[in-house]
Amino acid sequence: MNSTRTGSTRYTPDAVPAPGPSAARMTIPAPTDPAASARAQHPSSRPVPAILSARTLTKTYGSTTALSGLTLDIRAGESVAIMGTSGSGKTTLLHCLAGIVLPDSGRITLNTAAGSTRIDSLNESGRSRLRRESFGFVFQQGLLIPELTALENVAIALMLNGLDRTTAEQASAGWLQSLGLAGMEQRRIGELSGGQAQRVAIARAQVTGAGVIFADEPTGALDSATSAEVMQVLLDSTTGASKTLVVVTHDDTVASRCARVVSLQDGRLVGDSAGGAR
Amino acid sequence: MSTAVVDFRSAVRLAWLLARPGAAGGSAAGLPVLAFGLVTALLLIVLAGALSFFRWQDPAAGLYQLLAVLALVLLVLPLLTLGGAAARLSARRRDDRLSTLRLLGATPSTVGIITVLESTALAAAGAVAGVAGYLLLAPLVQLIEFRGAPIGTAFWLNPLAVAGVAAAVVLLAAASAAAGLGKVVISPLGVRTRQAPAKVHWFRGVLGALVIVAGYAAVSTGYASAAIAIAVVLGTFAAGLAVLNLLGPWVVAVLGRRQLRKASTAGKLLAARAILESPKAAWRQVSGVAMTSFVAVFGGTGAALAGSSPQETMGPEQFIAGDIRTGILITIGVSFLMVACSAGVNQASAVLDRADLYSSLDRLGMPRHVMDRARIRAVMLPLLLVSLGSAAVAALLVLPLAGLALVMAPLSVLTIAACLAAGIGVVRGGLWATGPVMAKVLEPAR
Ligand SMILES: Nc1ncnc2c1ncn2[C@@H]1O[C@H](COP(=O)(O)OP(=O)(O)OP(=O)(O)O)[C@@H](O)[C@H]1O
Ligand SMILES: [Mg+2]
Repeated sequence: MNSTRTGSTRYTPDAVPAPGPSAARMTIPAPTDPAASARAQHPSSRPVPAILSARTLTKTYGSTTALSGLTLDIRAGESVAIMGTSGSGKTTLLHCLAGIVLPDSGRITLNTAAGSTRIDSLNESGRSRLRRESFGFVFQQGLLIPELTALENVAIALMLNGLDRTTAEQASAGWLQSLGLAGMEQRRIGELSGGQAQRVAIARAQVTGAGVIFADEPTGALDSATSAEVMQVLLDSTTGASKTLVVVTHDDTVASRCARVVSLQDGRLVGDSAGGAR
Repeated sequence: MSTAVVDFRSAVRLAWLLARPGAAGGSAAGLPVLAFGLVTALLLIVLAGALSFFRWQDPAAGLYQLLAVLALVLLVLPLLTLGGAAARLSARRRDDRLSTLRLLGATPSTVGIITVLESTALAAAGAVAGVAGYLLLAPLVQLIEFRGAPIGTAFWLNPLAVAGVAAAVVLLAAASAAAGLGKVVISPLGVRTRQAPAKVHWFRGVLGALVIVAGYAAVSTGYASAAIAIAVVLGTFAAGLAVLNLLGPWVVAVLGRRQLRKASTAGKLLAARAILESPKAAWRQVSGVAMTSFVAVFGGTGAALAGSSPQETMGPEQFIAGDIRTGILITIGVSFLMVACSAGVNQASAVLDRADLYSSLDRLGMPRHVMDRARIRAVMLPLLLVSLGSAAVAALLVLPLAGLALVMAPLSVLTIAACLAAGIGVVRGGLWATGPVMAKVLEPAR
């Protein structure tokens, strides 16, 4: 397991492209030496501003209420675990925060160096662009493209943002290597184990330099040892590089690795380790 | 009670549960019914038209009857392609559910019976719709003139023949569903556990080239008897079609590898990988047009040949040239219709098949036009290559027979060009028609 950690995936914050739909400029983040991250510390005294802020979100599906007036602030560089019983609205909240679904009412604001973006008022193509440029995703099943190789699956995220294939594949190879997948670049997804496929998905989520990574039960289909490894890789490459991680999980072990745990019940926030429950 | 009976009963009950409205998307059930309906209607119309020629008893009627049989034979291939596509779609749309049933402990035979029952029911609904289509279109088809008179009442088929055709379509669907069972039954974990892509051997290329050379030599040789010469031409024609089927997947695979190397954008990369994933499936999507453009070259030259022979002004021969042209155009037109439908049905099932993947790509922020362009490219590139290539092979085989002048005659060039353009346009139209399926697949993600 340690071998996957030595290939550190941290990089300087100035390599991270300014998030937001206006971020036309693409910078390829490359794994750099751990010393660089020392320079990337937040000023510890001032409170870090919320990178994502959701206000009184409601969402219903027919007669089912998935979210009812939920308010949540997520601070930059934070790792937040969202917990709660099945059907409590975790996935719906994640999808609203990420601009995958629109809430029926309420506001979602993304605050970055480039300015503030009201995610709930963007149109479909604006949200699509936001998702591919500013966010990274890891789902329970990697949902990788089966006919593509591991390398191509990662590179395609960069190619969608307009990078040429050679550059995209070089950057992707670096990420695969740093996540412990060296030598597996040309394998197809069916030829990888569940844990390896999840790492490819993590590489795909990270390679664009997205500032916020969303994960929905990323270790849900893995055994506990593999789950711990994948979680370590995920944390190293996100909060370890001053990125924000929002992870939905049922697993207490996974949640305990996160800096903050929020609990949902019937579409409401009922617990927040940061003390912000309301 | 024997276990077979128990199996059958539980299968029927499960099939009924799964078939209730709302259990599956409406389009998933509607598409195969539509496709089976088209197969039945076209089959009935073509058969009725061809059989109407057999009402004549005079000496010249023999030529008409021979040509009618030839047209039927030519239409069998695209018809089977469409029937197969419809059957695959109806069997495939339940793959996931059936795999789940299998995981839940349903026995392979229960799963098998459900699949076959469902496909058969869908095909039966389609066959009924097809018979209705035949009856509705009859007044139009009856207006077509052969030998100076409209087909008229000669168009009506014996009701028993109609029932026979409908039964054959249903049987085809059942057989094809049974044949496709292996996959679901063998792997409860789903059909998506695919490993390395299918390889297509270069040996196909060598074999195909050999047959073309042999065919060219055969038609170039002089023959003493006309009967032998006709047999050689028909044999060459059949061999040419066989070569197309042999060469097609290999040519498509070569194209896919080239495209993969060159691919510079996400869409092009996806398209190239989709082609390489199964060159045989990619070929199957466009093989109908390849056949049709092959037939068009033979047909166009034939039409020009019929037009160039001195016209009889009197007697039963006066209509032959015009009738041959009509027949050729109808044959080509009908085969295009079937090709368009197969392309649409194949694409619809391809999209439904990958619904999860498409909606997850949408979540990741892949724009819809990139997905659309990729799947369109994965069909259109092989299509262009294959239809032009098969026209070239046909021209090569026709050349020694008809001579350059006839192949290059305005009528044949026009027929060939129109066929190629229509074939390409029609498949593009079939792809376009699957837009709503894609929209439906992406909808739940929003
Ligand atoms: N697309 C949808 N259509 C209808 N109802 C939905 C849809 N998505 C979610 N729901 C409903 O909204 C509620 C919240 O669902 P959500 O998926 O957010 O729960 P969850 O907390 O992620 O549950 P789990 O832990 O099981 O994944 C549930 O009652 C669910 O049935
Ligand atoms: Mg969920």
